[in-house]
Amino acid sequence: MAEAADCLPGRGKGVDAVRNRAIVFLLLASSFAGALVLSLSVGPFPVTLGQVFRILSGGSADGGPGETAMRVVLTLRLPRALLGALVGGALSSSGVAFQALLRNPLADPYILGVSGGAAVGAMTARLLLPGDSFLPLPLCAFLGAALAASVVFVLARRRSGVSRERLILMGVIVGAFLNALIMMMVALAPPGRIPGAVYWLMGDLSLGTLGRVGLLAPYVAAGVVLLFLLSRGMDLLLLGDEAAFQSGLPVERVKTAVYLTASLLAGSVVAVSGLIGFVGLIVPHGARSIVGSGHRRLLPAAFLLGGTFLILADVLARTAGPSGELPVGAVTALSGAPFFLYLLRRDGRKP
Amino acid sequence: MRDDLLAARGVTFRYGEREVLAGVDLRVGEGEVAILLGPNGAGKSTLLKIFSGLIRPHAGEVTVLDRSPSSYGRREMARILSVAGQDTPLDFPMSVEEYVLLGRFPHHGFFGQATALDREEVDRALAMTSLEGLKTRGLNEISAGERQRAALARAIAQGAKAMLLDEPTAFLDIYHRVAFYEIVTQLSETCGVGALVASHDLSLCAEYGERIFLLSGGKVQAHGRPEEVLTPEHILAAFGVAVVCDRNPATGSVRVTALRGTLPARD
Repeated sequence: MAEAADCLPGRGKGVDAVRNRAIVFLLLASSFAGALVLSLSVGPFPVTLGQVFRILSGGSADGGPGETAMRVVLTLRLPRALLGALVGGALSSSGVAFQALLRNPLADPYILGVSGGAAVGAMTARLLLPGDSFLPLPLCAFLGAALAASVVFVLARRRSGVSRERLILMGVIVGAFLNALIMMMVALAPPGRIPGAVYWLMGDLSLGTLGRVGLLAPYVAAGVVLLFLLSRGMDLLLLGDEAAFQSGLPVERVKTAVYLTASLLAGSVVAVSGLIGFVGLIVPHGARSIVGSGHRRLLPAAFLLGGTFLILADVLARTAGPSGELPVGAVTALSGAPFFLYLLRRDGRKP
Repeated sequence: MRDDLLAARGVTFRYGEREVLAGVDLRVGEGEVAILLGPNGAGKSTLLKIFSGLIRPHAGEVTVLDRSPSSYGRREMARILSVAGQDTPLDFPMSVEEYVLLGRFPHHGFFGQATALDREEVDRALAMTSLEGLKTRGLNEISAGERQRAALARAIAQGAKAMLLDEPTAFLDIYHRVAFYEIVTQLSETCGVGALVASHDLSLCAEYGERIFLLSGGKVQAHGRPEEVLTPEHILAAFGVAVVCDRNPATGSVRVTALRGTLPARD
């Protein structure tokens, strides 16, 4: 068998790429930076790449149209691009975590009702709390996400532990219930109480201000760091619960920690940008095919790739429509749904 | 007298109403290769799960190095006891080497980097199982038999004193079956590893097993040296199959041959 290995070219998806780790991350980081710069330049008000660089490096863009360019870039496009990066990165990291948790590469925050819970939490906050109190939104969304996650977890729990199949089943049921709640809230809310709710539900980055970016950043940073600390545990979860346990992992505790952290990420993101689908599903796949399944590499790669993907999707959303813009969630779903089908078909052909 | 690595005393376990184990006594000493034989559903896997702490017996007790499995921390336990089953992850791209390296988790933990020693142990385990040539291949790209060897390599890399091996040769060809028992024997002789191997491979058990436990009807029906356990009476009682037991002319070990056309009808 050792001889046979030499004759067959290594078809290991991402497995051989590990050797070129540094180059891979350099490429990922540069495409992330490239997408960021591109998104600052593209839009109804044209700003050349040269101007973007001058504005970013702190130099004023020589009076006249430069003033406007500076305002457009710094107060409109930059917050939006940063928000896209955070949201895309957080959703992808969350997706990686849920996939490891369920040992299912087709899982994401949506399947477990987590995003639905976050949406209900955020909408409840907007309905009940006075004025434009944006501050508690991520917290309420996280509470909603954590509550939905806990309900799903408790419903799926048996004496022998939490089975993946029951977790997915309960997630779908709870998610359907939460969707009904969301529709009810939208229909029954007093006019003007939740402005832009429909747009927000479709997934929207246009609410990006530096303030909101600052609000979301600590949640995302905390979640991403926590997940990174748990990455060895997630590696072992891929073995299955019993084998992970026998390999020395406190399985139930690690699963709970991963679940809560992934919910925190998904929840806080939903509060700010609504329901942006498929990012948490597609990006982990892409990242895995580049760097493999080891979570210490996979998580950073997925964060960078997710940020890049969502920034580009948002550029498309801003510029595609002849008048006004599309919600970015529509763009991700339009590209994501066919990709999902492709994955399903490819998996169906696996030996 | 060798120290007990694994011991079960009066272990009883029920799945709902069905009693699978009804007072099982068993001991595996340091450096001993013990074989657990028994028909399908006799509770072999259940007993192994009780030893690894996944489930607790309803009555009786098991000990690993004289302590109950639940008294160990998870990583502490995994440094003492390793398990190779048949379930390997296939849904995610993972190379054989990465998979075997996961066996080192009890040594480096959540935050430690894989050390040179970890790499060494992984290479040694890969070499023992003749998997060096496949180490960069994905688990989903190799055969079931190769995956089974990878699972054994992971258990070896774990570096534990006691090993539980659940039907580890099910998908292996005759070469690798023999190689498996050679590896386990080598581990027991050179490192003092005690192994409890659940198996259906009567002839190789007779060749390599120092002690055989025959599990049937919830109890250990017979135990001892292969020639004491592998008798036509014991095998007919446990498996319901008429066999002839003679000696292998080449090695002198017990040889079990099933008799054609003697299978009694089952309900």
